Amino acid sequence: MACFVEKYNFTDPREEKALQNFKSAAERLGHRFDFMFRENLSEIPKYDSVFIRATTDPLFTAYVVSKTAWELGLKVIDDPWSIKICGNKIHQYSLFKEHNVPHIPTIFLNKDKFHHRQLLRVFENFGKPVVVKAPYTSFSRYVEKVACETSFRDVAKRYFRKSDVLAVQKFMPTTFDWRVGVLGGEVLYVCKYMIPKGRWKHGAKLRGKPTVIWGRTVTMKKENAPTALKELALQACKVIGNGLYGVDIKEFNGDYVVVEVNDNPSIYAGYEDLRNKDLYGKIIEYLAD
Amino acid sequence: MGNGFNVSSTSENSCSGPRTSRVLYVSVPFHFILVRSVNINVQLVLNMTVAIANFQSSGVTCVLVVSNIDLTADVSIMKPSTFLESSTKGFTLNINNDYRYLKAGYYVSLHAEVLGNLVIPSSENIIDAHRTPILLLRASKAGISTLPYVVTGSVKQITSELEFPVVVFPVNPFMHNGFEVAKNRSALYRAMKSLSMNYKFAVCAQPLRGDMISFKSIFGKCELEEDLRTISQKIYDLFKIPICKLHVQRVEGKVYLCGLQPLKKEELLPSDAKLISKEISVISKQGETFIV
Repeated sequence: MACFVEKYNFTDPREEKALQNFKSAAERLGHRFDFMFRENLSEIPKYDSVFIRATTDPLFTAYVVSKTAWELGLKVIDDPWSIKICGNKIHQYSLFKEHNVPHIPTIFLNKDKFHHRQLLRVFENFGKPVVVKAPYTSFSRYVEKVACETSFRDVAKRYFRKSDVLAVQKFMPTTFDWRVGVLGGEVLYVCKYMIPKGRWKHGAKLRGKPTVIWGRTVTMKKENAPTALKELALQACKVIGNGLYGVDIKEFNGDYVVVEVNDNPSIYAGYEDLRNKDLYGKIIEYLAD
Repeated sequence: MGNGFNVSSTSENSCSGPRTSRVLYVSVPFHFILVRSVNINVQLVLNMTVAIANFQSSGVTCVLVVSNIDLTADVSIMKPSTFLESSTKGFTLNINNDYRYLKAGYYVSLHAEVLGNLVIPSSENIIDAHRTPILLLRASKAGISTLPYVVTGSVKQITSELEFPVVVFPVNPFMHNGFEVAKNRSALYRAMKSLSMNYKFAVCAQPLRGDMISFKSIFGKCELEEDLRTISQKIYDLFKIPICKLHVQRVEGKVYLCGLQPLKKEELLPSDAKLISKEISVISKQGETFIV
């Protein structure tokens, strides 16, 4: 087994610990588990399966790894289609719309049709503020809250540089986001990503400072999580694929709505795995299957 | 079109008859579907067969052309921004000078797929064709000649595995015309720094053994030598990117694929627009390979 990582995966001791846990779980189950860096991509054909831990996006090396492995007939997490759908939130939300998965009310903004009247309509429909999301968002980046036309235009201008379409969503403040880990159509772990006090997203910046503060992670046994929550998570993953996902769900006025589905969900030792210790073994077994 | 479809017409004067009165019967040999979609599951193949049947029953005029280029074709053409807000069904032909990921050309194909339309090109092919290592891998699997390549972020690895001169492509799609030829180590360092956007992304290096040739390919056609015409057609058959620029190397009389990039709008000449229009009319009259 090869585990594709980049140098930054080892900067956080909790993430490094989790990677070591994967390695020992694999070795316990009788598999060889090597870390593969950008420099060793030519070794992909030597392995039976590839597990990607580096950040995925169709623009990153991780996609090249995933697609190469798949073309060579290897088992791979995350598979190229999951990366393609989860790496582009526009794609993801249009699938949710098509398959009637309850999600945060979302509309798409087109670069060519971005004008005053359109903005007024957005505010009319969703009220103020609204959340502007670039399709390539991850780790709470490239998601911003805007309350007036000026800041809306300002944020949109920055995001339009890379992508010709953006998503705009209704602002739904909650004290935490549910995070449901799903593997091969089954719930793997459930936790709550708490939102730092006075902020509105899990990873928030302090005003004027470059450091990001993260909310606490509260883990629970998956058996104790609400059934409706788990069902919604599985329903959302079903339209995407059969791999490993982290589903973000908001509980708003008693209803569950999907915020987004992420491929390559972060797994930190002592966080996601706290009450579900078997998740390492399950992922390794899935890869070996 | 030599693509495995037998197209026959009910009307006697099949070539000149008015389009509205003709009914097309497209018969698709089943083995052909299987061969082209070995990696796609059976459910998907069935869906495609259904989609082809729909195409037959609705006649010939259901080709939906979405284009950001001014064309003279006698079919109606929709602007990408209009199409993205509509939910028009039908076989979609996405014509754009720039199909890069996250650009309008990509979103048109994506939108068509979400609507359940068959579309040329598919969003998956768009991503793959613009990522040089995957382009080369899939091309060589399909029997198109390619040279060995190295995907890496380190100069040392390139120099240890390849001999100078080398040709380096970015594995990041923000550049229009991004390949560079490096004849020595210091040139390679410079090329590396700019193409990897200061080592943020990887690059794809190939040996340079002959001359680099870059040319426009429109529906797989180009008005050049025989060997270039052949490779251009083969790449179109595989990825179905209607408009692109191909980079190839000719080594001792043999042509090798090196890369594929989008065209700038100003690179499209009026004669190219004419050729595109002609191809669109041919496709909307005859149909096209639907399995994409």
